[in-house]
Amino acid sequence: MKEIKVAVTGNPNSGKSTLINAIAGTNLQVGNWPGVTVEKKTATIKFDDLTINLVDLPGTYSLSPYTQEERIARDFLVKEKPDLIINVVDSTNLERNLYLTIQILELDIPVVIALNIYDEAKKKGYEIDTEKLEQLLGIKVIPTVATKKEGINELLNVIKDFALGINRIVSKKLNYGDVEESLKIVETALKMNDPGLLNKYPSRWLILKLLENDELVLKETGLKGDEKFLKQAVSQFLKSHNEDMESIIADIRYGIAYGVTREVLKKRDRKHTDLTEKIDRIVLNRYLGIPIFLIAMWFVFKLSFDFSAPFSDWLDSVIIGPVTKWTTVLLNAAKSPEWFVSLATEGIIAGVGAVLVFIPIIAVMMFIITLLEGSGYMARVAFIMDRLMHSIGLHGKSFIPLILGFGCNVPSIYATRVLESERDRKLTAMLVPLMSCGARLPVYAIFIGAFFAKNAPTVLWSLYVLGILLAILLGLFLKKTLFKGFAPVFIMELPPYRVPLLRDLMIHTWHKLKHFVIKAGTYIFAVSVIMWFMLNTPYGVEKENSALGRVGKTISPVFAPLGFGTWEASSSLVAGLIAKEVVVSTMAQIYVTDNGQEEKTEGTEETKNFLEDLKDVAISFFNALVDSFQNLLAGFGIKSLQVEEEEKKTALKSKLQEIFTPLSAYAFLAFVLLYWPCVVVGIAMKQEFGSWKIYGQAILIHSMMAWLVAFLIYQGGSLLGF
Amino acid sequence: MNLSELKKGQKAKITSINSKGLIKRRLMDMGVLPGETVEVEKIAPLGDPIDIFVKGYHLSLRKSEAEQINVEVIE
Repeated sequence: MKEIKVAVTGNPNSGKSTLINAIAGTNLQVGNWPGVTVEKKTATIKFDDLTINLVDLPGTYSLSPYTQEERIARDFLVKEKPDLIINVVDSTNLERNLYLTIQILELDIPVVIALNIYDEAKKKGYEIDTEKLEQLLGIKVIPTVATKKEGINELLNVIKDFALGINRIVSKKLNYGDVEESLKIVETALKMNDPGLLNKYPSRWLILKLLENDELVLKETGLKGDEKFLKQAVSQFLKSHNEDMESIIADIRYGIAYGVTREVLKKRDRKHTDLTEKIDRIVLNRYLGIPIFLIAMWFVFKLSFDFSAPFSDWLDSVIIGPVTKWTTVLLNAAKSPEWFVSLATEGIIAGVGAVLVFIPIIAVMMFIITLLEGSGYMARVAFIMDRLMHSIGLHGKSFIPLILGFGCNVPSIYATRVLESERDRKLTAMLVPLMSCGARLPVYAIFIGAFFAKNAPTVLWSLYVLGILLAILLGLFLKKTLFKGFAPVFIMELPPYRVPLLRDLMIHTWHKLKHFVIKAGTYIFAVSVIMWFMLNTPYGVEKENSALGRVGKTISPVFAPLGFGTWEASSSLVAGLIAKEVVVSTMAQIYVTDNGQEEKTEGTEETKNFLEDLKDVAISFFNALVDSFQNLLAGFGIKSLQVEEEEKKTALKSKLQEIFTPLSAYAFLAFVLLYWPCVVVGIAMKQEFGSWKIYGQAILIHSMMAWLVAFLIYQGGSLLGF
Repeated sequence: MNLSELKKGQKAKITSINSKGLIKRRLMDMGVLPGETVEVEKIAPLGDPIDIFVKGYHLSLRKSEAEQINVEVIE
């Protein structure tokens, strides 16, 4: 059976992903490129007797890479030398897309153009002479409408005919005019000095890059920019032209793109007031732009949390309720020792549960982000917010991950992928933990209830503001220190608005989720089990003497200047590393001594049999479904704050009032807001950035900041007499 | 005159680009070349960045980069 390696390349926004999804369908494999966190999509498809190995390259405007994504695309094309390149071209933006095509032709690899978004071009009144385009460039051209799967079969047939040698594709060597002379000089020099290089790289491409003084190529080849033969080759030029070589060659390429476009494209001349134009007139309007944007962001936020919350709650209740109960029943029936039952339910099941409750929110958030990107609105968000974000060293697009952080920091870290540059991604990820997430609310709720019931909204609001202010300060600080140096500039296409395919959104969301459950799931599970051991070894001792209690006791002096140097508070903070809401449940376990009644009340439920429980699970799922849709329509407000007053919570509150003063309580809240980003965030950072380094830095910076702020609050407040 | 000084709706021809290195390269790859006609389509609500129409598509860039692009007003 014959095999062929095909690379798919094209400009961003050319509909490349949709085309890949249409070709590969369920065969699509999503992973990362080695060593970096850029998505790699591959697929192996059988077409008649042919095996096609497809590799989707990141969208790129040029083969002189600017972003990490573009670097990957360039490296693959130059070094892996695929048998065939499918170049996806946006028919509605022919000239700029052909600029990349012309660079691809320099590689001397056969090219097939997928003339995509052909329907939109026709609607605009464009006529493209595909035969002429084939003649001019010596390649195959297939009109496609990836969203409707049109032209996909033709494309596959062309690949097949090529692989079987029925159809030869010989890319034209385009004439670069005056530069050809210089190319020859360099070629002769290379043949004499270093003939190996001409085999290692596509020769014409290499020579052009050397003439352009392309930094990357010079570094890779070990040649110098002022090599004698290079100087000789360009000296003629620089005399007669008033530009550097790089500009001259870019100009020639665009000149060819322009010439080809003029020959093959007939436009019925209309003023370009299309739909995109109309939408942008409102959405980017000087006065309406920001209000519309804020409303849009509110909906994004509301949608992602209100829609997912009932499902998370449902999963949580099913795990705490029936799953735990029936596991206990089964294990007891099997006469398992008590500690094992505890490990299985409080350690393992709770650990699995901790992974599962993230699924709804990650799914919904990823769906929304893909929707924002695919529709073209993400670029507008960047356009509107760049001024503000740029002032703290960020990119306009950083706004989205940051705002989503108020719901949950974990998907926020994943969302940093919308940013092109690694620097922006890391810097944004460093600031995300300062966005006060939903898991911190239960801690605020219980303390505010105990100490600041009268000023609840003000105190709560002050914590959110504190986080935002510190994010600004930290942004400014990091910009000058850890992230000093080259800050990528903002040169970004505002693509036309398009309705993304539901299929594409689903595929993308599904791959993200799968990735999270497999990769992050294992870690979270392990950490939960470790935490169980911390709390329960040696088994059966008082909490104070458990491993956790002892750790708490050891570190408690650190918190003494902050007003909460007790082993109870310290232990709760340690337990809270796994997720900040755990601070409350640990405190409840420690402060409210078990009087055995908790266990008994559950006993009444046990009269229900397995089927009844199953029925309850189904009913509660249905309720969650109804809730999530109701939430979308219902009033705006933070629901989670309305904590039900359970007996245990009341008991905890009165206990807290004995131990904390309002001042130390507030210092504690500020500390909880700011300290050590939770382990799940760390796992997400590891996944996104490939190492634990960023998480390590975040732990250090955030913990130090938390300590300092809590110190200032407590000591300052004490001085002022609070 | 440079690109950042153009008013909304003004058309101009690029005469030269002062940017250096990667930024210049990027601008050229995006079709911002001497001789090209550009039109300032929009200015972000907060005054920066700007949206220009070049080579048949919309490109946004900050004023600090636009300042490095010299232009000549056409109409």
